[in-house]
Amino acid sequence: MTTYIIRRLLQAIPLLFIISFILFALTNSLGDPLAVFAESRQRPTAQAREEMRRRLGLDRPLLEQYVVWLIGNDWMLVDVQGNGMVMEPGTRQGVLRGDLGISFVTRRPAWTRIEERLPNTLTLMIPAYTITLILAVGIGVYSAIRQYTFVDNLITGASFFFYSMPIFFIALMTIYIFGVQFTKWDLPALPIGGTGDGSIGDLIVHMVMPIFCLVAIQLAAYVRFVRSSMLEVLGQDYIRTAHAKGLSEGRVVSRHALKNAALPLVTLVGLDLPFLLAGAVVTERIFAWPGMGRLFIESFERADVPVMMAILMLLCVMVVVFQILTDIVYTWFDPRIRF
Amino acid sequence: MSAVDTTTQNRNSSAIATLQYEKGRSNLSRSLGRLRRHRMALIGVGLIFFVFLFVLIGSLLIPESQSTFNMPARALQPPSAEYPFGTDVIGRDLLARVVYGGQISLFVGVTAVIVQMFVGTLIGLVSGYMGGVLDSVLMRFAEAMLSIPQLFLALIALRIFSDPTEFPDFTFMGRQYSATMIVIVFVIGLTSWMRVSRIVRSVVLSVKEQEYITSARSIGAGNMRIVLRHVLPNCFAPIMVSATLGVGSAILLEAYLGFLGLGVRNPTPTWGNIMGDANSYINQWYYWFFPAMFIMLTTLGINFLGDGLRDAFDPRSLR
Repeated sequence: MTTYIIRRLLQAIPLLFIISFILFALTNSLGDPLAVFAESRQRPTAQAREEMRRRLGLDRPLLEQYVVWLIGNDWMLVDVQGNGMVMEPGTRQGVLRGDLGISFVTRRPAWTRIEERLPNTLTLMIPAYTITLILAVGIGVYSAIRQYTFVDNLITGASFFFYSMPIFFIALMTIYIFGVQFTKWDLPALPIGGTGDGSIGDLIVHMVMPIFCLVAIQLAAYVRFVRSSMLEVLGQDYIRTAHAKGLSEGRVVSRHALKNAALPLVTLVGLDLPFLLAGAVVTERIFAWPGMGRLFIESFERADVPVMMAILMLLCVMVVVFQILTDIVYTWFDPRIRF
Repeated sequence: MSAVDTTTQNRNSSAIATLQYEKGRSNLSRSLGRLRRHRMALIGVGLIFFVFLFVLIGSLLIPESQSTFNMPARALQPPSAEYPFGTDVIGRDLLARVVYGGQISLFVGVTAVIVQMFVGTLIGLVSGYMGGVLDSVLMRFAEAMLSIPQLFLALIALRIFSDPTEFPDFTFMGRQYSATMIVIVFVIGLTSWMRVSRIVRSVVLSVKEQEYITSARSIGAGNMRIVLRHVLPNCFAPIMVSATLGVGSAILLEAYLGFLGLGVRNPTPTWGNIMGDANSYINQWYYWFFPAMFIMLTTLGINFLGDGLRDAFDPRSLR
């Protein structure tokens, strides 16, 4: 087992290098990050911009920029004016030493941008995901043990329906009904965006609609998954044996079926968890929620490469780590699998 | 021999009965027979047919110029007899825009999947059949691409390749299109091939050690012939299923990109970029309701059909 874990960790390292290089090459082709200065009030002179470009290393070949991004440039000299007159030592430490770079837009470390936004995303995503999982297991199991009854068909139909629904549709509809029309009908309307005035109560009121939409969309896929893996287990011989030895229906379902059906669910959850950090780009946009998805779009629109790279790398590292964790947890839960 | 027969051991008794009853028919016709009895799949086909008829007949009745003709004086009118879907913020007829936008959305969905299937199948075949270093390199690359959220990847790729000076608008059959329409096809296709290539690779790995491959080789068939004639047909069923479901996700992805304002550009309407325009006009329900509804009907139909296809091609799932 230990050898297996070590091997997986060693395999993850080249994978992360490949990912980071793909991302670095793509984000650095997005356009001139210094273009944001051209429209700012204190427009720097052409020479100042040129010096800035050299300090940021934007004049160097892509591969060299990537190496600097990885290991920093504090060990080498930067030729600021391009003629060998002014040589400054570099200031960056590189990602491998925990320096994600300085945001081109706010001129502060990219990591502080993430630190500001990540809690917002998590306050939205964690409750939404927890509710989704609880409901999915409940509805999925119920649907499976009543297979092909009216309720099961209803649930299956509804989950197909929500599964095919783009999230902006349900979001705009809930805003239209509970935000816009409720005000017209003099009913207590829900706020349609933002995070409120800072109090917990107001925050919760603002969370109702986004969480409702996120749950409605995610739930469908999870219900279908739980139902089908439950059906698979219910068809097994050991379930018939459990019935035959006189166990009650509830006990068979909870003890024998659900435990086994939960195994594939563990995999699915493990692989989906890291994406919670990404937030929900579209949902956050609609509800004006200042989370990671919004941060990504903002930095994307201004070609703020360090912040984009920080977000994407955080995500990809989490994806890779969670893949390994999921495999380990899976073997731990399922004694049939051994390495 | 095909994927269907190799699963003999796993079949349950009822499936065996059905298969014996159907003996003498080809796998494809058996599968199509199962599909015809699948109620959800039929509903799916019906929905897709309805959407196709809508965009097709709509374009025969409404001239294309109607979808781009703007008249600010009649902006944001609710549905009426003259404008059944209302008008948008600069007074364009939303019915015409939903009809012509639908054509583009469907076109993008289908062609993006063709790109995706071509690249995915090619990489899967090469990777599985060749094995060795090439296989590990290609699969590591696929794994790396899979770890990056597709929406983020597509956004970045779209920005890089949508410079209007490099990709100007073009005219085709009397209609003007934005080149971003072609770009988005490739962006969606090239960011979603990874799962297909994994599926194809696993089929190839299970097939290539079988006796009939050895016998084909022993009578002198080359690699090309073996791959195309003996290996590729086994991938037909899984490719069909993921292609069908892929059209749905491609249309959804186009809609999300359009909604974020980064999809196909004007003058070409799509369901996605109508939604993007409508984002700030939540009070005008007709502005966003109709395009979103058509996106949903299409993906719903495709998901029904895809699920039916999966059941039809995989007798193990018959329960």
